[in-house]
Amino acid sequence: MIRVIYRIPVGSPVPSPSSAREDFWLVISQASMSGSDPIIRSKSLSKSYGKVRALREVDLDIPSGVTGLIGANGAGKTTLLRILLGLIRPTAGQAEVFGIPVSENPAGLRARIGYMPENKCLPPDQTAADFVTYAAELAGIPSVDARRRASETLFLVGLEEERFRFLGDYSTGMQQRVKLAQSIVHDPELVLLDEPASGLDPSGREGMLRLISRFRDYGINVLFSSHILDDIERTCDWVVMLNEGRLVHSEPLSNAVAGNRIYVEVFGDPQPLIHELSDRGVTTGLDGSVINLSGLGDDPFRLLQDALVRSGSSVRKMGTGLSRLEDVLESAARSDRG
Amino acid sequence: MADDQRPPDQAVIVDRGYRHYEGERTGRRGAMSAIIKEGFRRVLGFRRKARFKVFPWFLVALALASVVILVSIAWVGSGLDGNETVDDLIPRYAGYFDFISVVALLFAAYAGPQLLVPDRVHGVLNVYFSRPLTVTDYLVAKVAAYATVIYSFWLVPQILLHLGFAALSPDGFFVYMRETTDVLWKVPLAATVYFGLQAALIFLAASFIDRIGAASSAFLAGLLGLNLVAVFFNEATTAPGARWATLVALEQHPRYIRDWIFGRSSEVVIPAQAGFGPEASLAVIIGVVAVSVGLVWRRYRRLA
Repeated sequence: MIRVIYRIPVGSPVPSPSSAREDFWLVISQASMSGSDPIIRSKSLSKSYGKVRALREVDLDIPSGVTGLIGANGAGKTTLLRILLGLIRPTAGQAEVFGIPVSENPAGLRARIGYMPENKCLPPDQTAADFVTYAAELAGIPSVDARRRASETLFLVGLEEERFRFLGDYSTGMQQRVKLAQSIVHDPELVLLDEPASGLDPSGREGMLRLISRFRDYGINVLFSSHILDDIERTCDWVVMLNEGRLVHSEPLSNAVAGNRIYVEVFGDPQPLIHELSDRGVTTGLDGSVINLSGLGDDPFRLLQDALVRSGSSVRKMGTGLSRLEDVLESAARSDRG
Repeated sequence: MADDQRPPDQAVIVDRGYRHYEGERTGRRGAMSAIIKEGFRRVLGFRRKARFKVFPWFLVALALASVVILVSIAWVGSGLDGNETVDDLIPRYAGYFDFISVVALLFAAYAGPQLLVPDRVHGVLNVYFSRPLTVTDYLVAKVAAYATVIYSFWLVPQILLHLGFAALSPDGFFVYMRETTDVLWKVPLAATVYFGLQAALIFLAASFIDRIGAASSAFLAGLLGLNLVAVFFNEATTAPGARWATLVALEQHPRYIRDWIFGRSSEVVIPAQAGFGPEASLAVIIGVVAVSVGLVWRRYRRLA
């Protein structure tokens, strides 16, 4: 969709939506993001580098939309992305993108995929405009169209003013945006982003995440690898968790972070309250002075109130909290270890 | 006029959103031609800072200046008595390969690493191989880019020389052109032999050395050093196998084959002095190219 928005001078009344002129809005196309078939699928996907097993029997279905791929360093995220691009072959199993086995026609699939590598990939002695144009040409877009696409894409990532500067003179944040621009300049259906926010300061990170979130509106599917859980929680619809090459979860983000928990902090010794709660069948965990509770039944606050009265404890702080991805990942790592 | 209906001259587009591309996609063919174009531009310093233009254009200027000088000498000589002597001194076609050999070798040493090293050092290979390109496509396109600049460097001066000599010919332009049609295949064929050996060696150096200057130096030092080794085995020892060791004079082989193509004698070429025929030189070049292709491909297969 192309949106043409007029900048309103300061002090002028902002037009209401009903007064917006229709000719300011031109709908070119809008890709469907609601397809039910997974765009990425893997079956028993394994990859070993000598004795190191980077991926172990990964069975995966990823729907369209923005998907986060999380895991600690060495979890197998980059290996999975490189298998999906057809750059490396799995040791066993199979990966499909858009229903096509990657091994069948990797180069053909790459024409439909964009990739933003984690590591450096920019020649310092080229301008952003030239490099992004070249990136488009490498995807088979003719020169004239490639230059126009590069200009539009650099505008989109906020580098329209700086596009004729040499990349070696760019800040890290600007370089990350050029890397993002080259990944979408050929209008891919799927873009694989490997740690796109790495090395950015908080405001740069914020800007990058905002851009990635907008891809959803543009009809570009995203698989976005990160070890920064907050980035995934803020950006993605679906989350895939890897731990030491194993698939831990592949589910909607809302499921991954679901499950209310209650925490309570009391003045003085928490042990009497823990004892009372345990007698009532509540599972407790002590994290510093905070008691985390689960298994509270249908009326958790009544149960907690009784336990507090019985133990004679006074509440300092109490509340509910969603379990964060971090908890889920840590719990998965713990269960893997033991 | 209402504020929400401002005239276009007061308007600024702040968000153009995203537009899908529905035009032509040329696939691998287009991608490879993009690499060739970009390679040509990179070697000659187009769209790069001024300092990247100085060295290649200095060499190009030397090559073109040599043409002007040779044609000028021919022109001055054509008006003198004993014009045949002057004519014999002017290097033509096969001789021009020797006349320009140092400049051409420097250009070859400069161009190869420019095409391969920056892509690898700056991580741009990540971008290439995320596109519909294979390692073979990439390397073939790079060789084609190298061929474009190297052939231009060899052939443009030769074409200008040919036209110059034709224009100065006492028999007339067209008669000269008709009588020298053989050079139209001999010169490109000889250039191909030079190109084959030089491309194989410079690509090998540029694939394994991560600094442009170091790769160029290794290429030049390798050729010079091997020549010295061959001279030693040819002249200073009668050890068993010394004759075969003269074949390491890689720089000499294209000259030997060039002379073979042009039907010239080759007494000064080391393999000829050691008693080898030009077929041996051809075999050496083919062998070097084959080994180089294998090593370079394997190197990039691992990098992809």
